[in-house]
Amino acid sequence: MMSEIQKKVKVHVEKVNKSYGENHVLRDISLDIAENEVVVMIGPSGSGKSTFLRMLNQLETPDNGTIVVDGFDISEKATDINKVRENIGMVFQNFNLFNNYTVLENIMLAPVELGKLDKVAAEKKARELLKTVDLVDKADVSVNSLSGGQKQRIAIARALAMEPDVMLFDEPTSALDPEMVGDVLEVMKNLAESGMTMIIVTHEMGFAKQVADRVVFFEAGKIQESGVPEQVFNAPKNERLQEFLSKVMHA
Amino acid sequence: MFKKCLLGLATLVSFFAFVSTVNAAEPHYTITTDATYAPFTFQDKNSNYVGIEQDTMKAIAKRENFTYTMRPMSYNSAAQLVSNGQADGIIAGMSITPERKEVYDFSTPYYKTGVAWIVRKNSKIKSLNDLKGQTVALKTGTAASEYGKSLQAEYGFKVKYFNDTDTMYNDVVVGNSAATFEDMPVIQYAIKNGMALKVMNVNKPGNAGSYGFAVEKGKNKILLASFNHGFAAIKKDGTYDKIVAKYLGASQATFSGTKKDNSSIWGIMTSNRAALLKGLWQTLELTVIAIILASVWGVLLGVLGVSEYRWVRAISTTIIYIFRGLPLMVLAFFIYIGLPGVTGVKIPAFTAGIITLILNEGAYTGAFVRGGFEAVNRGQMEAARSLGLPYGSAMRRVIMPQGLRIMVPSFINQFIITLKDTSILSAIGLLELTQTGTLIVARNSQGFRVWAIIAVIYLIVITLLTWLSNWVEKKLK
Repeated sequence: MMSEIQKKVKVHVEKVNKSYGENHVLRDISLDIAENEVVVMIGPSGSGKSTFLRMLNQLETPDNGTIVVDGFDISEKATDINKVRENIGMVFQNFNLFNNYTVLENIMLAPVELGKLDKVAAEKKARELLKTVDLVDKADVSVNSLSGGQKQRIAIARALAMEPDVMLFDEPTSALDPEMVGDVLEVMKNLAESGMTMIIVTHEMGFAKQVADRVVFFEAGKIQESGVPEQVFNAPKNERLQEFLSKVMHA
Repeated sequence: MFKKCLLGLATLVSFFAFVSTVNAAEPHYTITTDATYAPFTFQDKNSNYVGIEQDTMKAIAKRENFTYTMRPMSYNSAAQLVSNGQADGIIAGMSITPERKEVYDFSTPYYKTGVAWIVRKNSKIKSLNDLKGQTVALKTGTAASEYGKSLQAEYGFKVKYFNDTDTMYNDVVVGNSAATFEDMPVIQYAIKNGMALKVMNVNKPGNAGSYGFAVEKGKNKILLASFNHGFAAIKKDGTYDKIVAKYLGASQATFSGTKKDNSSIWGIMTSNRAALLKGLWQTLELTVIAIILASVWGVLLGVLGVSEYRWVRAISTTIIYIFRGLPLMVLAFFIYIGLPGVTGVKIPAFTAGIITLILNEGAYTGAFVRGGFEAVNRGQMEAARSLGLPYGSAMRRVIMPQGLRIMVPSFINQFIITLKDTSILSAIGLLELTQTGTLIVARNSQGFRVWAIIAVIYLIVITLLTWLSNWVEKKLK
């Protein structure tokens, strides 16, 4: 426990609530995530885990509570959310690659537009990133010609181009054909090994077991249980977690 | 970029305004008329405005040393432009009535007239009593129509209104309407020239009265005095009688061309080549300028419509709501006839037409541009914002390029609608293709042939425009 406390806190969430009308999606959520930590969030759909993730870069705003990312209190109105977002990479279930650009342009857009890199440097960086996601030959093609797995790897490269220090993954493999899933998880695994702070919403339990430092179980807008994978998967205490695991593991 | 476009728009508008206010040293007046009113005012085969009124005006101006611009348009617009000070005088077969004297100052009468009631040549109608339940065609705003309307209750007929003389006549000729009311000399001239109608009260004209030249009440006293002075002079020396004899004594062929010119589509096309080309050119000019400026304005409205700020969106929504809700003709009348009455600033018809098109077509464009931006998948915006791009950059770099591509077919559609909508501007007297057709028909009474020619010209231009647009669309893809 001592070693974890000494680590720098990257994401600090305190008593966050969110409702859509009558629907209370998040109830008093508090969670700290340390630098270099890989946290995987699991739970049935509608449990609030995706909403929680999207709050960390303000794609959703909390009704109340505090969210601090990288030392910036993003629940504070005065905070320049654009600046904070530059350091938070986000990967979506549906990739959301920019349809009006080529693969290379997708990766280059943000660093160039935000003045982080000039065009030459941005292109060099984009090509390096394509190497890490193993898609060098796709640099100049239209994104619409890619398969789902390729699209998602480009989306990861696009996020990495901004050199974020936190990466958020919102069900990154859920829209993929089964044979594509492995490639994307491979890229994510390498990223985790490189020390990236990662928060991942996923249904890939095998991946969670293998890569997560901590697994968080969401249900009915609450964190019901969290802990190291061995504990969560092999010795779940929470009844609902036991039920959930028995469903997904035997499916 | 949009600021630049706005600036350009403002410059263009002020340029038109400037051109219109340049004045010569000699007194120069703007006179309105209804050019579908033979033998008083009509266009001859060379597209000159001729007729008793036109020749009289010319003779008087020469004697009294003033110059004028003659502005032909529908009778109603012609009258209103004078009553609100946009034009200086009107000479358009305007009967002198007590009501009109409230609004206008009249010259000494230049022609004695009365109202005829008219039916189709082989009609079985014998008296006004036979009109019970039938439809009677009237021209809006004329003294003849008021006379007709005053008989409506007594004889129990229905009334249908027209904006120009010739369409009204033809409605009776083809039997849609049973009868019409018209000033005696006008209908006599038309019948003499082959209009298949007959006058039922030659010896007993209704509401006998006189035509006068008119100016806005209390204004343009010098012009009115000049007219009266000059008219007295040309009456005295016999010039005026010669003018009247020239038109009422001659057949229409003298002015509108021979039978050969008018009895075939080819003949009409060759004898009216100059007028048709001029009208087509005006239509194209209106269309091209309106398409460009309305697109700029529409894209701006669309961009404002997806702004981050609620109040900016509200402005866009309101503008689109207002100008999409107004019929084009109402808007044209409002800008051309209504506004100058309040602001006192004259707006040339062409400028008024362009502004009308920009506001109306721009509102439609704004609506589909906004719709196009909104149709871009929400995830595109989320992805751009997640990378740290501010709303404006995300819009410009990601949403707008994709949205504009979605909109290309809508733009093409709007261009074609704009071209067709220019025809509505004939109502404010713009001599574009449709108004050209009206004037030619007023002269030669060949409604079917002339409108067929005009229709085909529109179709050809629209086809070319569609091809051009499709080519551009392909290039964009």
